[in-house]
Amino acid sequence: MTMEDTKNEADAAAIVSMALYTVMYPVFNQLEKVNLSAAQTLRAAIIKAEKENPGLTQDIVMKILEKKNLKINYNECLLRMAADDVKEFTIDRREPEFQELNERARALKHILSTIPDEIHDRGGFLQSIKDIASAIKELLDTVNTVFRKYQHHNRRALEQQKKEFVKNSKSFSVTLKTYFRDGNSASIKSAIAE
Amino acid sequence: MEEDVKKVKKPGIVSPFKRVFLKGEKGRDKKAQEKATERRALHTFSLSQPDHRIDPDILLNDYIEKEVKYLGQLTSVPGYLNPSSRTEVLQLIDNARKSHQLSGQLSSELDAVVSLSAYNIKLVWRDGEDIILRVPIHDIAAVSYIRDDSLHLVVIKTAQESGGSPCPSSCPDLNKSQTLSSLSEGGAVLVEVCCLLVLAVDNKAAAEELCLLLSQVFQIVYTESTIDFLDRAIFDGATTPTRHLSLYSDDSSSKVDVKEAFEEEEASTFPFQVSMEAEGNSPSASTPASPQTKTASEGELSTTAAELLQDYMTTLRTKLSSQEIQQFATLLHEYRNGSSIHEFCINLRQLYGDSRKFLLLGLRPFIPEKDSQHFENFLETIGVKDGRGIITDSFGRYRRTASSASDSTTNGNGAAGGSAASDEGREGDEWDRMITDISNDIEALGCSMDQEGVAP
Repeated sequence: MTMEDTKNEADAAAIVSMALYTVMYPVFNQLEKVNLSAAQTLRAAIIKAEKENPGLTQDIVMKILEKKNLKINYNECLLRMAADDVKEFTIDRREPEFQELNERARALKHILSTIPDEIHDRGGFLQSIKDIASAIKELLDTVNTVFRKYQHHNRRALEQQKKEFVKNSKSFSVTLKTYFRDGNSASIKSAIAE
Repeated sequence: MEEDVKKVKKPGIVSPFKRVFLKGEKGRDKKAQEKATERRALHTFSLSQPDHRIDPDILLNDYIEKEVKYLGQLTSVPGYLNPSSRTEVLQLIDNARKSHQLSGQLSSELDAVVSLSAYNIKLVWRDGEDIILRVPIHDIAAVSYIRDDSLHLVVIKTAQESGGSPCPSSCPDLNKSQTLSSLSEGGAVLVEVCCLLVLAVDNKAAAEELCLLLSQVFQIVYTESTIDFLDRAIFDGATTPTRHLSLYSDDSSSKVDVKEAFEEEEASTFPFQVSMEAEGNSPSASTPASPQTKTASEGELSTTAAELLQDYMTTLRTKLSSQEIQQFATLLHEYRNGSSIHEFCINLRQLYGDSRKFLLLGLRPFIPEKDSQHFENFLETIGVKDGRGIITDSFGRYRRTASSASDSTTNGNGAAGGSAASDEGREGDEWDRMITDISNDIEALGCSMDQEGVAP
């Protein structure tokens, strides 16, 4: 497998595994209040299964929706739910720059989560895009500050993540142009989820 | 009998008064007819109903004309005027008519043509085609349709002067507009002023058509500028270097093949490979006497430079046509062969145009130190910030100041100071090689785009 294939696989895994973080983690948190031990066992099992079979959680969720005959827009729901904090993706370090990074990421996720509500109002949607642009810029600025101020043994991985983020941001921009040309909102929601 | 008599027209006798009036009326009709036949046909298109949709390409690459009557332009109108308020607007118009600032009667002398495109609205007289005024789209704040009995008015709220802001005082572009001081109970209050362009059309359908056309123009313009704004933000955040890319070199022995570091952003790959010499870093912290101090690994620095190049190439591909890329390569070639940085900047600015001038930011890492000051000054003069903040959008509302967290390549350049004489030769060689690589890559990019038949 070439490096490119590995990278593409990692990209796909990140997207399809969103269901685990966005849908199942909050479910596990609630289950822990009911039966801590069982919930933790279930959490560990599903995380392991997802790691070995990326997309499994999404498949399970989709099947449940189908079984319950719930007609919802999956990408829309993912987007809205993605605004919530995920403890596993929150940086623990107390230095101001890292805390700012948490805040910037949170702000961007929050704005993105409003897209399903704004997309049908052109004026509101354009304003949201501007807010997204500002949020992306602020997040990248903060990332650059962290790079500059802190030496980290895993720097290459962090830079790779930054590149991924920039790449997905550009992809989002391209999808927006297509949307304004064609009017297909489904592609936008998918791009935002990425 | 009498009725029969009344009904029978008596031939041969025409009242002299009638004769004179009829002659006058016929004359006027004739003149009007002659005028109508003399007037050229309008440049217009059929619009899809019921929302009068027009192909955006027409607004972007062509224009559409509509016939209106130009009543006049009111200036120094308070900026807080609510264009949706029929009462407020009509009050202004009535006062203006009383004071003869606006024409009272609708006559053929007021006939005008409004020419609409994504760039501006232009008003010319119907006869003679003399220009009345031109308003860039970004100077238009609002368009209103007011029906006043049989009068169908289209009122356009614009900036007081070109470059001014027609937005309310909450707009941060306040310093660009003229201000009008007025005293209130609490003291002096500064308000912005704007203009009202008052047009009349034949009927409600014509008014709605004009308003919807302008609405489509706004959609195109502000959608484009919003996407550009997003692109600039991404580009700016992605290309802000983590450390200054100095071209000092103290070790030319190792080469790093950075092809692996490239990302494929689209299905097609770049048909080139960039090899860059790993070079010693001379960060801003070092003194000119000791440029060999390294604060980053050679591999990381080369990768960063390659990433910047890759990013820039990717952006060029998405923003420029293949012909424009060729032109860019030509300009770069000329710059390398001795044309001045000034000429390079001016030509590039012309090539990119207003909407793509932010692309100049991406060149920063590749401008040699001797020209960097001029380059930075040039960026400032054309309204592209020094890379530390977001460029203003069409509304002028996102004028970001330098973030204290952002790196400063300008300072990096300056603080590095003058290089030692022995380093200048190596810097020049490295610069030459980088620019050769860039030129070759760009030319190849242009060729590959031609082959693919990609249209921007």
